[in-house]
Parts: sequence; C-alpha cells; structure tokens
Amino acid sequence: MSTERVAAAIRDSVAASRPLRISGRGMWLDAGRPVRADATLSLKDDSGVVSYVPGDLTLTVRAGTPLAEIADVTSERDQWLPLDPYGSPDGSIGATLATASAGPLASSFGLARDLVLGVEFVNGSGETIRGGGKVVKNVAGFDLSRLLTGSWGTLGVITEATLRLYARPAVDRTFVIDLGGPEKHVTSIVRAIVTSPLAPYALLLLSASAARSIGVGESPACLIRFGGNEAVVRAQVGALSQLSRPEELETKIWLAVRQLDGNSHSTIRISSLPQRVVAHAARMLHEDIPFIRTSIDPRRGILRIAVDSDGEVDQRELRADLRVTEENGGGASEVIFEKLPPEVWAQVSPSVVADGLSRGIRTAYDPHNVLNPGILGD
Amino acid sequence: MVAERLAEIVGPAHVLSRQSELLVYNSDGLPGYRRQPRLAVFPGTRDEAIAVVRFLAAERLPFVPRGAGTGLSGGALADDIVVVGLHRLKKIISLDVENRRATVEPGVVNLRLNKHVAPHGLLYAPDPSSEAACTIGGNVAENAGGPHCLKYGVTLNHVLAMTVVLPSGEIVELGSKVGERDGYDLRGAFIGSEGCFGLALEITVKLTPKPQAVRTLLADFTSVDKAAHVTSAIIASGIVPAALEFMDGATIRVVEDSIYAAGYPRDAEAILLIELDGLEAGVVADQETVRRICLDGGARQVRVARDDAERMKLWQGRKKAFGAMGRLAPHLIVQDAVIPRTKLPEILATIHAVSEKYSVMVCNVFHAGDGNLHPNIAYSADDPAESERVHKAMVEIMQACIAAGGSITGEHGVGLDKLGYMESIFSETSLNAMCELRGVFDPERRSNPGKVVPVHACKEWHGIPGSAKSRGAREASPLEAEPSRPIAR
Repeated sequence: MSTERVAAAIRDSVAASRPLRISGRGMWLDAGRPVRADATLSLKDDSGVVSYVPGDLTLTVRAGTPLAEIADVTSERDQWLPLDPYGSPDGSIGATLATASAGPLASSFGLARDLVLGVEFVNGSGETIRGGGKVVKNVAGFDLSRLLTGSWGTLGVITEATLRLYARPAVDRTFVIDLGGPEKHVTSIVRAIVTSPLAPYALLLLSASAARSIGVGESPACLIRFGGNEAVVRAQVGALSQLSRPEELETKIWLAVRQLDGNSHSTIRISSLPQRVVAHAARMLHEDIPFIRTSIDPRRGILRIAVDSDGEVDQRELRADLRVTEENGGGASEVIFEKLPPEVWAQVSPSVVADGLSRGIRTAYDPHNVLNPGILGD
Repeated sequence: MVAERLAEIVGPAHVLSRQSELLVYNSDGLPGYRRQPRLAVFPGTRDEAIAVVRFLAAERLPFVPRGAGTGLSGGALADDIVVVGLHRLKKIISLDVENRRATVEPGVVNLRLNKHVAPHGLLYAPDPSSEAACTIGGNVAENAGGPHCLKYGVTLNHVLAMTVVLPSGEIVELGSKVGERDGYDLRGAFIGSEGCFGLALEITVKLTPKPQAVRTLLADFTSVDKAAHVTSAIIASGIVPAALEFMDGATIRVVEDSIYAAGYPRDAEAILLIELDGLEAGVVADQETVRRICLDGGARQVRVARDDAERMKLWQGRKKAFGAMGRLAPHLIVQDAVIPRTKLPEILATIHAVSEKYSVMVCNVFHAGDGNLHPNIAYSADDPAESERVHKAMVEIMQACIAAGGSITGEHGVGLDKLGYMESIFSETSLNAMCELRGVFDPERRSNPGKVVPVHACKEWHGIPGSAKSRGAREASPLEAEPSRPIAR
C-alpha cells in the first residue's frame, strides 16, 4: 500500500459510488458508530519509518505503523513519542491521529494535536495533500495538520505523519497511593497533589473497579508517574511522601492502564474544568459499580468511564451511562462519546459536525461523501 | 459614504480616511512593504466590531484585520481597502485562577495579560519579542511563538476557545472553554489563519504556573560554528530548556552599542542564552549538564545570571535586538525560516557565505532550540542597488533552508512576504486544499485578501475580478505582493 494506492482506491470508490470505511490496523478503537460503507480501506500494509533523525527529535512514519513499532524504534535512541492512547499498542499512528486519541501522558506532553508536525493525506477526491512539515515549529499555510487530527478519516485518509519526539527521561518511576479512605481525606490528598509544585508526567485516579482490573488493589487508587533527571524525581518522590504513603510500581503498569477499556460496550469521556473534577473526584471514585471503570485525570479535567457488558446491553447499564453523563455533563462540561452500542448512538449523540463550518469543510474535502460516512453522526 | 456609515457605528473619532492620517497604517514591523489603506476603522466594543464586519459584509467590501501592527510578514497591510483595527478591544474579561485560564478581548497586549496574572503565580507562556506591544488577537492570527515556546509551545497550544465573527458577520464559537471536545479542530484551523478566516473577538487562553526555579545561562563562543554545534548537542541531550537563543557577533555588538546593552561579551562571535526552569532540584542538575556541554563544545565561559535583575537585562538585549538594528540603517528585513536542528552549523555557514557574496551584513539572532532562524539585514529601502542585493541574499538564504528540509516561516506568518515561496514547499493540490478551507470560513475571500496562499494557486478563484489570473497570469515573485482587490467606490 502506498499513497498512490490509497488515492486510486478512493478514486475508484468515487467512480463506483461505493463509500469506504477507513481502518488503520483494525486492532482497536472500534468506535462502534455505524458507518455506511461498502468496503474497507485498510492502512495495515502501509507501515514503517520514512525518516528518523534522532538529533532533530522528529520521526516520519507511514500511517499504518503500529505505536509499538514507534516505541521500539525510538527507544533504541533513548527517545519516545509520549502519546499513550487507550487500546492496544498494536494500533496504528494513523488511527491515533485520526481519532485524536491520547492517554495519561497528555496532561504533561499534550494531546495528539500537540505532537503532530505534519501530515500527508488523500482527500475524498483522491488528491494527495500535505500540511505542516518536518520541523518542530511551522506556520506556513493554513493548519491542515490540526484539521485532519481528530477528523476520523472524514476529511482525508492520513497516509504519513511527522511527529515530535522527546528524550526518554533518565529516571522514570511510578507510584500508587491508596485512596480508600473517607471522601474528605481523598479530596484533600488529590487537591494537595494538584496544587503542589509537583510536576508528574502522569497523574491518574482510578475507581476501585478500575484499580482491580489492572491489579493494583481493591480500593480507589492514584497512579503517579515522575520522570526527569535523578534529582528532580528524587525530590518529587520525597515531597509526595510528605502528603501520602506512596508505594512504587513497575512502569509497565501503564501498559495495563491502556487496557482499561477492556471489552466495554461504552466509553464516555467528560471534559470539565480541572477544579470541578477535583471537587467531585472522591465521590465519583467511591461509587463502586462493578461494571463501570472510572478513571480521572484531574489536571487535564478528564473523567473517563468504561461500561462493561457480558452480552446484550441491558437497560440498567444504559441508565447508569446516562446518569453519570448527566450528573457530570451539565453546562460546564463537554461529553465525548468514544464508544457506544450501535443502536444507542443516534439517541444520545447527534452529529458532532453539524455546524455550518464543519459541514462546509466536509463537503470541500470529501465532496462525494465516500470517506467514513456516518462515523461522526453526519 | 463608507467612512460616514462606519463613523455612525464607532464614532467619527475612530474612523480615519485622510491619506496623511493613514500613513501610520501603511506598514507593519517590516517597513520594506508599504500599502496605503483606503480607510481605517477602530471599533471600541465587541458589538461595534460585529456591526463593522456586518456592514462590510453587506457592502461586500474587503478588509484587513489588524492588531498592534507588530507583525513581520506584511500580513496586516491593506492595499487600498479597509483596515479594521482591534487594539481598542482590550478588556480582560475574566480570570479563573483555580483553573488557570483567562478570557480576553483581542486587543489585550501580552505583557498586560502577564502583569495581570503574575500576582497569582501564573503566566501566559507565548512570549513574542514584541510582547510589550503585540496583542493576543494578533498572536492568534499568526500563531505567534517566542523564545519560551521551545518548552511551552506556541499560541496553538495555549488557546482553548474563541468567539469569532466570520467575514459574513456570523458569530461562531470555536474550541471549548472547558477543555476538550469532539468534532473538527476548528480552533486549530483558525489559529495562524493570518486574518483570512475572520476576527477573534474573545479568546480563552490557558495560563501556566510560574516555574519554581529559573536559571539563565550565557555561554560565549569564539566561533558561530561552535555555538551551532553546542545547540545541537543540548537538544540531542534530551534536556528541554525553557529557551535556547542564539546571537552572533554582529548582533551582540549592535545591541551593546544601543540603549539595550546587556553586558554581552563584545568580542564573542556568538552567544547562547539558555534558560532552564522547573523544580529547583531538576534545574540545578540540568544546569550542570548544560554547562558541561557548552564547555566541552568550546565555550570560553558560561555565566549564570545571579538574580532576576541580571536575568531581565540578559533577556532585554535579546528581545530588543531587532530594535537595536535601527542604529544601522532605516529599514530591516527579517526572515523566519525553520530548519532541522541538526542542520544548524551547515546553514549558518551558508548564510555567512551568502552575506559575503552580496556584500550585505546579516545579523543572526534566533530561536536556536527550535531551529527557527531570524537572519536579518539592516539596509536602506530607498537605495535600489542595495535593496536588490539584500533581496537576492534573502532569497538565496531561504532557498538553502528549504533545501535543508525546512519551512519558510516558524512564527511570523506568510503574509505578503513569503507568498512567493509557498509553491516551493507545497504542491498545487495542497495549496488548493488551503484555499478550500479558507473558502469555507470566507466564501467571498474578503478578509485579508491576497495573503498566505497565492491567489493563482486556488483552482476556482481564477474568475474573480482582480485576481492575478484574470488580469493575465504571472508568477508572484518573492518580495512582490499579489495585488488585493480594490475597495468598491
């Protein structure tokens, strides 16, 4: 698979009026929103490093490259792409960018949009387009890289991306704090950490069911990751020990965290003002509903809920979904449905690209409506 | 007629139509480009701004939004059309200390926002060198950077949401004041659109906690090449300095001769200004590592600012360097190319060779950590022979940067200045995709016409009266602007 083959496939689909479902490696991120497509265009075979100059801390890869391969290639040079979306590391960078996926590292290193320097994509007319470039700072032309990131394949199929890398820290340590105490106590610990000068790489609060699913105990917990030189990590671990009783974990716990969604039938992300999240964190963490795994990134203001199902989605589970959503998704929050059962999408989530500008851009970039039609509720 | 109608909206004191009064608005921070506006209007409130845009829409008049006019790309120039100046919209609408965000009007000056939030231990990270004058609205239009963007990111990474009036007069909300949302990243598309997509009337920005510790180091070198290699070595070490700035000998001496004298060593051929910040313990360790890299790379000396006063002085020399160039000649041309950081030594050598070839004095003062060059030449635009040499030198430098895999602009924008280079880095289909995006925000292409993307690169624009194609196609050369559509009389 090459860019030219992607372009040819899209032109064919236009000629035959057969819309395409765009797929990265098809490993993860089964968003579940129904797509009206006759065929799948997979980027699975379009994989590999195009260029990597460690001294520039930039990497250009084909879109089908698995995140795990990027991690391997860069770690040989003590570097990394600090982007840790939920799902299998075998998922592709193209899908990660197209869905604007991110994980716990985002509160320190930014979201997908903050780490992408340039993209090559093929639009819905089969034209190859490049936005951005290969350097770390660039304002030449309108920002097509940001536009494509998070567009779910509806404006173009990303075929190549240039990414900003960071050096791996000399020291990278992770700790867990038990948050099983009274709510008041938990709130004060969380507030103390968030308002302290501590600058962890990642800070994630887990409900008991979430903690249980990744094997860090039976009660709500706080995972905290420090990186940097020896001195800065030591100082932070010292400061944290003044606030609580941290226990060290192996860093690979974060790979387990990425599997938090498990086989959820619904995953809902709520973005809210950070202090609002901090204020409600203890209550949300202590509500231990076995089939709901809650995780909270208090600095990023993100509450994420994965709801399980053993088969048919029952009404009780759905009501729980919606209640959590309503309680926390009032006017001051954004509710983002990452995954829902197909039949539920239309009820709870109307089109997210219904505004005039979004519709205009969609029409300009995919005039024949062949790229993932329906995936954004359009 | 137009002036009277606009005066009814904003008051007669805030409409300029006399040519002598408009002279001030005929250039931005790059005085080599001059375009005389037809008139200028300065709304004082958000509602007035909306009314002005709606009036211009009803009359189908093209216009150019303008902030403080400190831009360095000719982007805010209006060729016989209306300037909509936004500097009177300067309210800081709200400050949320707990959640570290502020909502401001577009005319708020960076430094004023920083003074406003400093008592709460916060700062607004993007810090263009013109921060004492430039406005947040202009920052948004240009996706402005600054020295500290090396660690903290550019405007794009610090704006959460905007209320925008589109050129049609429609009001839209882009992004989310809360944080993240789904749908297309329209906020990302708008930031850096150089006034071509409309006017941001309210901007919600993220604020950053003031770092616990800051250290500013000054390393001086007897050769440009050594300083360039040390820059690459610091980046490769994995330390992310808050800022890593480069000044060559010519720049050092101009600054030291000026009122901005910072105490830089006059006999150095290059200095690096390196700032480290973060938690005290980490900064101390990084300082030692950086000092070692500098000395191993041939620095004569590495000095650490003892206190805030010394730190400010070192920074003042850097930030006012362009101003100090005024001592050399009346005009200044500044480039903004970005190159891969490993190519720094090679490109700086090329720049030196080019300056000899054309007998021009290139001063280099730039964001070395990002690879964002600012070669600049002080000259007299009134001397045609000198101008010609300067322009040729600048074109050759730019071509070398493009050949090295770089970009034509890192933070100043395309504007008029780099229009002619867009086809060197983007294909026809890519430029057309940009035109199409603009067409969605501004179907009539009335907002800042003729900027960013060469008009002839836009497929379906060829028939528009006044566009290059319709008047007989010709290639836009760098340094020569595409003509804008004249105002309807």
